[in-house]
Amino acid sequence: MHFHLVRYFSAASLGMFLLVAAALTYFEFQQGDFFRTTQTKQADFFKDVQESFARRQEEAARRDLLTIHESGNVNLTRLFANALWERDFVPFVEKAQAISVEPCHAIADVKDEKSGKMSAPAGKKACFAEVGRKIMALPGFKELDAKVVDSMKKSSVFKIKVFDLRGVTIYSSEHKQVGEDKLSNAGWRQARDGKPASELTHRDKFSAFEGVVENRDLISSYLPVLQPGSDKIVGVFEVYSDVTPFLAQIKETSTQLKKTADGNQASVTQAAADAQAEAEASSTKTLAAVMVLLGILFAALFAIVRRADGIIRAQEKEREESMQQMAQAEKMASLGQMVAGVAHQLNTPLAFSHSNVSLAINALQEFEAPLSVAGRIADLVRANPGADTVPLKLNSSRAAIEKIRVDGKAAKEIAEMLGDVIQGVDQMSELVENLKDFTRLDRAKLSDVDLNATLHTVVYIARSSIPVRIAINEAFDKALPPIECNPSQLNQVFLNLITNASQAIEGDGEVQVRTRANGRHVYVDVIDNGSGIPADVLPNIFETYYTTKPKGVGTGLGLPIARDIVRAHGGDLQVSTEVGKGTTFTVQLPLSVPVASRTA
Amino acid sequence: MTAAISMSMPMSVSTARGRVLCVDDEPNILRALSWLLQKEFEVVTSCSGREALEIVRKDNFDVVISDQRMPEMSGVDFLREVRAIAPRAMRILLTGYSDMQAVLRSVNESEIFRYINKPWNINELPKVVAQAAEIARTQSAPVPETAVEELPLPAREDAKILVIDDDPQMHAAVEMNAGDLATVVHVTNVVDAVHALQNQPVGVIVSETRLGSVDLTRLICLMKQRHPQIVTVVLAEETGTDLVSKLINQGQIYRFVPKPVKSGYMRMILRSALAKSAQLSDAPDLNGRHQVEALPEEECNILVQDLNAAVQSSVAAKTAPADEHSGLLGGFFKRLFGGAR
Ligand SMILES: Nc1ncnc2c1ncn2[C@@H]1O[C@H](COP(=O)(O)OP(=O)(O)OP(=O)(O)O)[C@@H](O)[C@H]1O
Ligand SMILES: [Mg+2]
Repeated sequence: MHFHLVRYFSAASLGMFLLVAAALTYFEFQQGDFFRTTQTKQADFFKDVQESFARRQEEAARRDLLTIHESGNVNLTRLFANALWERDFVPFVEKAQAISVEPCHAIADVKDEKSGKMSAPAGKKACFAEVGRKIMALPGFKELDAKVVDSMKKSSVFKIKVFDLRGVTIYSSEHKQVGEDKLSNAGWRQARDGKPASELTHRDKFSAFEGVVENRDLISSYLPVLQPGSDKIVGVFEVYSDVTPFLAQIKETSTQLKKTADGNQASVTQAAADAQAEAEASSTKTLAAVMVLLGILFAALFAIVRRADGIIRAQEKEREESMQQMAQAEKMASLGQMVAGVAHQLNTPLAFSHSNVSLAINALQEFEAPLSVAGRIADLVRANPGADTVPLKLNSSRAAIEKIRVDGKAAKEIAEMLGDVIQGVDQMSELVENLKDFTRLDRAKLSDVDLNATLHTVVYIARSSIPVRIAINEAFDKALPPIECNPSQLNQVFLNLITNASQAIEGDGEVQVRTRANGRHVYVDVIDNGSGIPADVLPNIFETYYTTKPKGVGTGLGLPIARDIVRAHGGDLQVSTEVGKGTTFTVQLPLSVPVASRTA
Repeated sequence: MTAAISMSMPMSVSTARGRVLCVDDEPNILRALSWLLQKEFEVVTSCSGREALEIVRKDNFDVVISDQRMPEMSGVDFLREVRAIAPRAMRILLTGYSDMQAVLRSVNESEIFRYINKPWNINELPKVVAQAAEIARTQSAPVPETAVEELPLPAREDAKILVIDDDPQMHAAVEMNAGDLATVVHVTNVVDAVHALQNQPVGVIVSETRLGSVDLTRLICLMKQRHPQIVTVVLAEETGTDLVSKLINQGQIYRFVPKPVKSGYMRMILRSALAKSAQLSDAPDLNGRHQVEALPEEECNILVQDLNAAVQSSVAAKTAPADEHSGLLGGFFKRLFGGAR
């Protein structure tokens, strides 16, 4: 499996950064919103405060105005009363008392259809108007009126009325109103009970002393008239005074205030908007800065990861190369071991063959004399056809012939010697055959490999290189299916396992090489009855360079290389062991190499 | 387990020059050896060490030839047993391949007469066997080896150990381990070694295989050839099966120990070497049992050249007069080569 470090890192960290950026933006917006609503609320509150302040200010001004004018009117009334009441009004009022208003009062009020209020019907009003006419017809009215107008001229008083305790208008500077009934008027009643009552009203038209005036703000005050020198209420005045300029001033102030408030409000809103804009701008800036920093961070990390990835790759390559070198070294070592074994194996047939052939040559040399004698006799026999005996002239050759001591056994012995030589040659050619099978350098990968045959070769080779006190036995499953594999690589695996097994055996022992199969796999077990592997050694045995053997005996490469080869075949190498009993290494191989491992 | 077969080849007792036991796990080898040796010797064969030991116990043999690589019992182990059971028999190791350990044990434990490689030479092997058989028949048998340690040691003044080594530690070690048993003579160059061998009755030589550029093995071999009573112990930095087998065949060395040597082991070796030396000088007819294979002529020439060169360089370096050295060398060569040159 290959891990794409750079790719995975980039994807993961970019995704993460995007998430962080999104989260930051979201929170910034949230904060902006909050800020905005807070500011709006503050501005509203401020506006409320200002408005209520302005309103109260105006109310207070109006109230003050009313109070001031009321007290002014009270004084005025006193003055007026002092000046006119005793002398002019008392006799006039007494005269007016004589005019009966009982009939008019007797006329009941009616309910107004529209407003639902009780008001005087037209008959009642006419009745009182009649009373008015009678009052005005009383002697002294004209003089009284002239005096009142005269004394009120040049004051802010626009109108003055005088009521008796019956509620009848005894006098009004507006003559029309003389005789009107005020009995049910709240202001009149209050004043009759001793308390002045004032009210601010606006009149579009108003008939004042000096004619009709328009658009005026007026304060009308009902004031009790006390009998001079006592607390006795003897009548009620009503005075209208003009406060239009004051009210205008109040209104002006109020407008001014409102304007200022509006100005404040505007500048507050502006400031809020500015702050908001500023906050938004700065948050955008912050966001941008964070993005840039994240970008830089990503770039830096990317550079680091890329470099690390490069280094890891280089190291991986180096490791692979050194692994290959080690494999090569191990191959050479086991080859050396094998060569030594093979040399020894070859030496035995060589030794006896050489000896026997040399002896046979020597023996054959001894046959030279007997054979030449036999040849001579044969010549003689042929030269004397039909004869029973042949003449044999011995003379000089007698001594040589006497020396001949030969029986047929000698030839038989030579044949035996040479027979052994043939055996020796057969042994040697078997060895050569096995060597060829073992290496099989001609073909790298085969599809139908008979593992039993391969293993037989390995066992044969192994026999020559491991101590003779250790027996190697074959327990092969005859029906083992052929598999697809690289036999020369697997031979190295098996030879390593058998060598390990033999090295684990102290003294005599046995190594069994067993094959078996199930539907999908074949298994090769290398079983020894040696030392077994102690628990503290077992976890390390597949580590490169791990060995418990003395220097020169073990390099610690056998098992790691074996496992690599088996895995490259899509198989597995397993071990089970018991200390003191022995060890079994099991090579599991699939019937055909999976596509993923085919490059091996 | 291989079935043990033994066979006796027909022979005429009158012509037999000795009884030979051949042991090898390969029947073809046994047959070949029988054919080779049957004309001269009475040959008995066995294809297993254990079975052969039984035969040795029952029968009397002059020569026992064994292969090294055999199942059950290795040749070296077998021959060691033979040495104890039948000390009279001469032991020959005939081997196609043996590891260093086996070669060392063949010297130190089995004390073999010859180490012969397969394939053998059909002319040489019978000669060696004949020589061994001759020795066995004519020379008296040694005391069984276990007794060597109990042998009386020579008087301290008579016994001399010559240490030839340029490593001061080895000198110190020998002095420490054998100083109380014998007089130890220390030399660090070949000229001084020659001097000592010429002038002193050396019983035991403790030597390296080389001193600087000089190969000492030829000197060791030739000394043994000329003076079989000398017991040689080789303590060597370098080892090798060829080196050791040469020292066995041509030098009949008593022990070969690769360095570093453990102190206790060194004392044991030196003590038994001294006892062996005393035994050999008391019973000179035992010397025959350690006859060596003659050093080839060209090897002798190389030795002469080496020694001359060493003397020349030491004359150049030292103030010693040249004629004294050449005089010494002349006398020494007479001693080495029996006045032949
Ligand atoms: N059959 C076995 N019985 C007991 N121990 C074993 C066996 N096979 C392996 N081991 C242990 O596993 C270790 C590692 O074995 P491995 O084959 O990798 O290296 P080695 O045999 O020590 O050296 P190399 O095979 O390179 O010569 C051995 O040193 C040994 O301790
Ligand atoms: Mg191994």
